[in-house]
Amino acid sequence: MSLLETRALSKHFGGLRAVDAVDLALHPGEILGVIGPNGAGKTTLFSLMAGSLPPSDGEVLLEGQRISGQPAHRLVRRGVVRTHQIVRPFPNLSVLENVTVAALHAGGRAEGPPRERAREVLEFVGLGDRTHAVPGALTLAGRKRLELARALATAPRVLLLDEVVAGVNPAEAMTLAALIRAIRDRRHVAVIMIEHVMPAVMSLSDRVVVLDHGKKIAEGTPAEVVKHPQVIEAYLGKGHAGAQA
Amino acid sequence: MSLRWPEIVPPRAALAFAAGVVALAVAPWVLGLSPYSHNLVTLAFLMVSGALAWNWMGGFVGQVSFGHAAMFGLGGFVAARVLLAAPELPAPLAWIAGGLVAGLFALGAHPTLRLRGPYFSIATIGVGEAARLVFTYWEDFTGGSSGLSLPIDSDMKYRLYWWGLGLMALVAAASFLIRRSTLGLQLLAIKADVDAAADVGVSATFYQDLVFCLSGAVVGVSGGLWASYFSFIEPNDMFGFDRSIGFVLMTVIGGVGTVFGPVLGAIVFVLLRQFLLASYPQLYLGLYGLLLIFIILFEPLGLTGLLLRLSRPLRRWADRPAAAPSP
Repeated sequence: MSLLETRALSKHFGGLRAVDAVDLALHPGEILGVIGPNGAGKTTLFSLMAGSLPPSDGEVLLEGQRISGQPAHRLVRRGVVRTHQIVRPFPNLSVLENVTVAALHAGGRAEGPPRERAREVLEFVGLGDRTHAVPGALTLAGRKRLELARALATAPRVLLLDEVVAGVNPAEAMTLAALIRAIRDRRHVAVIMIEHVMPAVMSLSDRVVVLDHGKKIAEGTPAEVVKHPQVIEAYLGKGHAGAQA
Repeated sequence: MSLRWPEIVPPRAALAFAAGVVALAVAPWVLGLSPYSHNLVTLAFLMVSGALAWNWMGGFVGQVSFGHAAMFGLGGFVAARVLLAAPELPAPLAWIAGGLVAGLFALGAHPTLRLRGPYFSIATIGVGEAARLVFTYWEDFTGGSSGLSLPIDSDMKYRLYWWGLGLMALVAAASFLIRRSTLGLQLLAIKADVDAAADVGVSATFYQDLVFCLSGAVVGVSGGLWASYFSFIEPNDMFGFDRSIGFVLMTVIGGVGTVFGPVLGAIVFVLLRQFLLASYPQLYLGLYGLLLIFIILFEPLGLTGLLLRLSRPLRRWADRPAAAPSP
């Protein structure tokens, strides 16, 4: 059975179909990439899956149980957590406190005092020596690690990553990509990632889903997807469908 | 299972706190406080309690309420009604009853908690003023604009010093514990970014309801003590808007969101008020307005921020590297 599944998931804003009848399935131990041009509805899809927005239609299932319609904080306790493209640390709390807040909501999936678990997660993401810093003192890559740590501290089963690699320099992008792989392999968390940095998403993803104008237009292994005519058309426009990506 | 000293309470802080409370408790005998000072300090205790409780909502959760007078007045009138109906009942039970009703009333304000920031503040002004009008016209309960009189009990008035001190100590300890606990962390997270807090599992509505209810209950209890103290209460005063503003001012003067800032703020507020009302009654509100502007412009953490700023050079001097030992 798939771990997380969406069935005909839709979100309409007035006449705009931001997400239009999207079906997708995430299997345990998998990294699923979600790509698509700007405005394709990727982040809205995440908001629907994480409970930040209620769907207009369709449903989200976690291990076969319907979770759509529940607020974000409750889904966190059930093991579905998201990060944001624009990182949102709590600026009035230290790095350790930021992660401790999240560690309080592991929903019984983790043992030990929250503060200790927060420390362990910070160690894991490579911020072990910055626990007492304020988030404002971290670099962008550091704040992205903090965002990851905060999500991981909730002991998630499904981690929704919204453009974690984007915006940092190439060397940092490499280490963040390695970190995402470690999240799956060492912490056994299934990951859905939105990413614009193609090398990262292509090398990390087991499967890729392509969205355009709110619809799923392709799905498959990274190698299959880049050859898909509709995908090439969505990214490059008509007339390039014969070109090799 | 053995009892352990809670990790979040440094023993030295607990000791200092206990010493402070004991000092205040014996002050009337040791210092031979005049009735005037005795009364002033009693009122200060009640105001400090209210300001500390207001700060849980305004400072920790970051939702600035301009309607706390509703809970203060409600607590006062419920306590007064209980005391009038059952004079043989111990007064503390009546105060607790006032606090409970005020806490429930605060829970009833749940719909306003969907609002954030200025919108919440405006809604609380509405709730506070509506409460004032309803209770002014509800003569069967509050006696209308002629108010309620309780039998005068000068012995009780004297003893209220220690009841007020007890309430204040309790609320101050609670403030410290809330700030240091994981509850406090979550409140600060809500204050920083309510959506990001939800994304890591914090239920903002639950904690806001909880804190608003607790804060309202404490303010209600202090309203009950106030009623016993004055033996006469009147809705336009108890529910008055300037009372709500008072809670805001005390906390802002002392330092919003700090643990003990409201204590300083309330003391300064009570003393200033007493002095200004006696000497320059026509200037009193205007001077508060000026004070507020200066604090918000120059020292958003109020007196606490000022003290921190002044203590920094001192600490630097204390921590200066020791002179190298001469050979």
